[in-house]
Amino acid sequence: MNPATLIPIADTLTAPNGWFQFFLMLTFPLHLFAMNAMLGAGLVAFISHLYPGRAYRELSHELAKALPFLVAFTVNLGVAPLLFVNVIYGHLLYSSTVLMGLFWLAVIPLLIIAYYLAYIYDFSFQKLGNLAMFVLLAVLVLLLTVGFIFSNNMSMMISPASWSRWFTTPGGTLLNLADPTLLPRYLHIITGSLAVGGLFTALYATTVLKSDQEVSEAGRKLGMQLFSWLTLLQFGVGSWFLLTLPKQTMLRFMGGGSIATALLAVGVVLAVATLITGFKRLVLPTVWLTLPLVYVMSFMRDVVRGNFLAPYFNPTTVPVQVQWSPLLFFLATLVLGIGVIVWMLSRLQIFKKAS
Amino acid sequence: MNYPVWFVPTFGGGLLIALVAIIHVFVSHFAVGGGFYLVMAERKAIKEKSQAIMDFVKKHTKFFMLLTMVFGGLTGVAIWFVISLIHPAATSLLIHTFVFGWAAEWVFFLVEIVALFVYFYTFGKMDDRTHQTIGWIYFGAAWMSLFLINGIIDFMLTPGSWISNNDFWSGFFNPTFWPSLFFRSFMSFMLAGCYGFLTATFLEDEATRHRMVRYSGTWALVSLILSVPAGWWYLSVLPSPAAKLVSGASPTIKRAVMTGGFSLAVLAGVLIALILLNPKARIRCLIVAVMLSAMGYMGAFEWTREAARRPYVINEVMYSNGILKKDVERINQDGFLKNAKWVQNKEVTETNQLEAGRELFLHQCFACHSLGGFNNDIVSRTQNMSFGAMRKYLATIHEKRYFMPPFVGTDTELKALAAYLTAGLHKKPLTDDAGATGDRGKVLYEENCAACHSADSIKPKMKGWDLAKVRASLDKLPALNPAMPDYTAPSADKDAMAGYLFKLNNPGAAPAVKDQGASLYEENCAACHSMDQIKPKMTGWTRDKIRAALDKLSALNSAMPDYTGTPAEKDAMADYMAQQTGGAK
Repeated sequence: MNPATLIPIADTLTAPNGWFQFFLMLTFPLHLFAMNAMLGAGLVAFISHLYPGRAYRELSHELAKALPFLVAFTVNLGVAPLLFVNVIYGHLLYSSTVLMGLFWLAVIPLLIIAYYLAYIYDFSFQKLGNLAMFVLLAVLVLLLTVGFIFSNNMSMMISPASWSRWFTTPGGTLLNLADPTLLPRYLHIITGSLAVGGLFTALYATTVLKSDQEVSEAGRKLGMQLFSWLTLLQFGVGSWFLLTLPKQTMLRFMGGGSIATALLAVGVVLAVATLITGFKRLVLPTVWLTLPLVYVMSFMRDVVRGNFLAPYFNPTTVPVQVQWSPLLFFLATLVLGIGVIVWMLSRLQIFKKAS
Repeated sequence: MNYPVWFVPTFGGGLLIALVAIIHVFVSHFAVGGGFYLVMAERKAIKEKSQAIMDFVKKHTKFFMLLTMVFGGLTGVAIWFVISLIHPAATSLLIHTFVFGWAAEWVFFLVEIVALFVYFYTFGKMDDRTHQTIGWIYFGAAWMSLFLINGIIDFMLTPGSWISNNDFWSGFFNPTFWPSLFFRSFMSFMLAGCYGFLTATFLEDEATRHRMVRYSGTWALVSLILSVPAGWWYLSVLPSPAAKLVSGASPTIKRAVMTGGFSLAVLAGVLIALILLNPKARIRCLIVAVMLSAMGYMGAFEWTREAARRPYVINEVMYSNGILKKDVERINQDGFLKNAKWVQNKEVTETNQLEAGRELFLHQCFACHSLGGFNNDIVSRTQNMSFGAMRKYLATIHEKRYFMPPFVGTDTELKALAAYLTAGLHKKPLTDDAGATGDRGKVLYEENCAACHSADSIKPKMKGWDLAKVRASLDKLPALNPAMPDYTAPSADKDAMAGYLFKLNNPGAAPAVKDQGASLYEENCAACHSMDQIKPKMTGWTRDKIRAALDKLSALNSAMPDYTGTPAEKDAMADYMAQQTGGAK
């Protein structure tokens, strides 16, 4: 069966495609930052449990307090990019979603359990004693499982060749396990996430927690070590991912496509630079290098997606019926919303200074 | 047809949507009303300088944070996940049409969680004025979420002029937008009040408890009273088919409306009683009744709104099975299978009829009908129908029962679906002409009634009825049960069916065909000659001779037109005439 015949007809867009691409590329890294911080904070808190001493215990406790916030923002900041993916690639995404429906729905209960466990870890940290570590481990396992489900959907959505399995297995129990890129893709993003999450922890420790010198230093040390070693490991995992990509896609990153090659080159340069600052435990310089690095990585991800889909779908061919006023309404809301958030946080700062 | 179908035979997706939606509806409205309640209660605490009330408010805030942010936020995402799985085409349409509405809603969601975090973690650590402002921001952002989602949800029931102009704002500010916005707002205040009512009874300090019970109770009662005219306004702007469904044409809606009305009465009564009895009001089971009634009232509204747009998922735009209304004519010409993406049989052949029928079922019926499962099981609903009856039923399914979408496709495809539903599911014979021979009344019954009730199930209900009563009831079916559509057939058909139904309880009675024959005679012959006039001319004729004559009337008398009835009708008429003239059978 020709996979192209299965691809649903895409619905009309209400703004030029570029706008949705822009919003997607803008908001997806925001989700990544929150998600990385969440996973990283969880992992560092977990590792801290393994170290003896007050400082590490305090560090776990402090990160425990941050975890529910990070889950909330990961979910919220995931909504926006998922919305724009729905707009640009909805017809592909819904198809693969149906194929793996059971797993896709499982995301919700898994997240709810993880979220409440994070709150239990936070509110009952003292009461739980050594059990706290296992509550946290459960949170991490649940969140990593959710990530795996997402990796499956995002990779199956761009592989229509695997879709005809639905005819024999229509119960929503399919995953994309046969895809050679799935595992390296998942490990690549998880390694990156935990590394950036380590960096977040170091940043958190050296700013918010700086009043307690010992705790702050413990957080900086653990966070930066995690970041540096995982980033080093990432060179291996990333290369593996690159090599499992279809040859044509891979070659685009090796000089075949100018944008793809440039992105890879900039990415590698930034990564090497973060390794230097990382092993030197320089928090802020590493943060400034990592912010653009995450954007570069997500652009590369988009290039891979475009290449996978090239034989099947060209976003520029989708009909467009532009209506500007809703777009302006959204932009106005966004500006207003950011303004209100900044104001609220500034009140928080005032309160902090006052006390 | 554009998308694959998540196929778990015994488990229809509608149930899953309902489950997730019900949870989310309660929690999300609760969150909106709760924002308002918290700010107002905090104001009361500040004004009365009561630390006890302030502690009460803070405790509530924590609960709101845990319930609404985690559970509310995630079940909201869950609805999105579930509908994209069960109704991908409709989800895509809603996402594409209202993308910037959704995006703006996301911004308010973000503001809402930041505000709630700040509000909770700064209790007692911030000056009252700023803290109150943060509370107002929380409520404002939550209410704006309701404002935006309300527009999109109402669009599904009343798309209004969007259908012709595809304009975002026409779809958003649709005919039910404002009444629904008011109704939902009051509803959310009421839920929050009821919850405050419940938790206030746990307060230890008696004076504070009395104050908060009275405060929350009044809060809930006022919101409840205000919600009634808003609900009325909402019903009055519904489009007529939806209004008809709501006013009692569907048993499920009727049940929902009754639940709602009953809950409303209980709610109002208990609230008033408790506010009056307030100083002694620690009667928690009564307050639990209040909570449940509030949910019943709200649930009835949501259920009615969902059911009222049947057979559409987006009223007058897209049917529940994802087929666009505007595409129906084209697909009827070209064929459904040829246009569908996720089918293996692109056309119906002699050998693949059942398999193609199964694919048609999957893409056109499975959205609402499970296969041997809980909701709207197709197996039990088709067991009384023959292949012929099913074909006739499918051909006019939407006309006969408005809340079912029409079958979309060619006649051959319709036949394939009918074959799957009868031969495929029940191993029934595929005799093509089942509609033309046999007991006409029985055939008519199968075509028109058996989809909802088998002959066995209807039989006891007519016990003791005489033929006239059975016949008369067929003229006023909706009066017997509002869920039944009118049976708009010629009186000859009704006679035949009445005869068949009468015979169910009276197997020995005179053949029902007599009545059918009589009416056929009246309709076709009596205009020129009464029975009394022609009786003498047929003296001594056998029934067979009469039957044969009916085939060649113009030969008997050139002034007579040929009778063009079916063989079955001619049989019936011959039986009747033979009986009248005393001719032997």
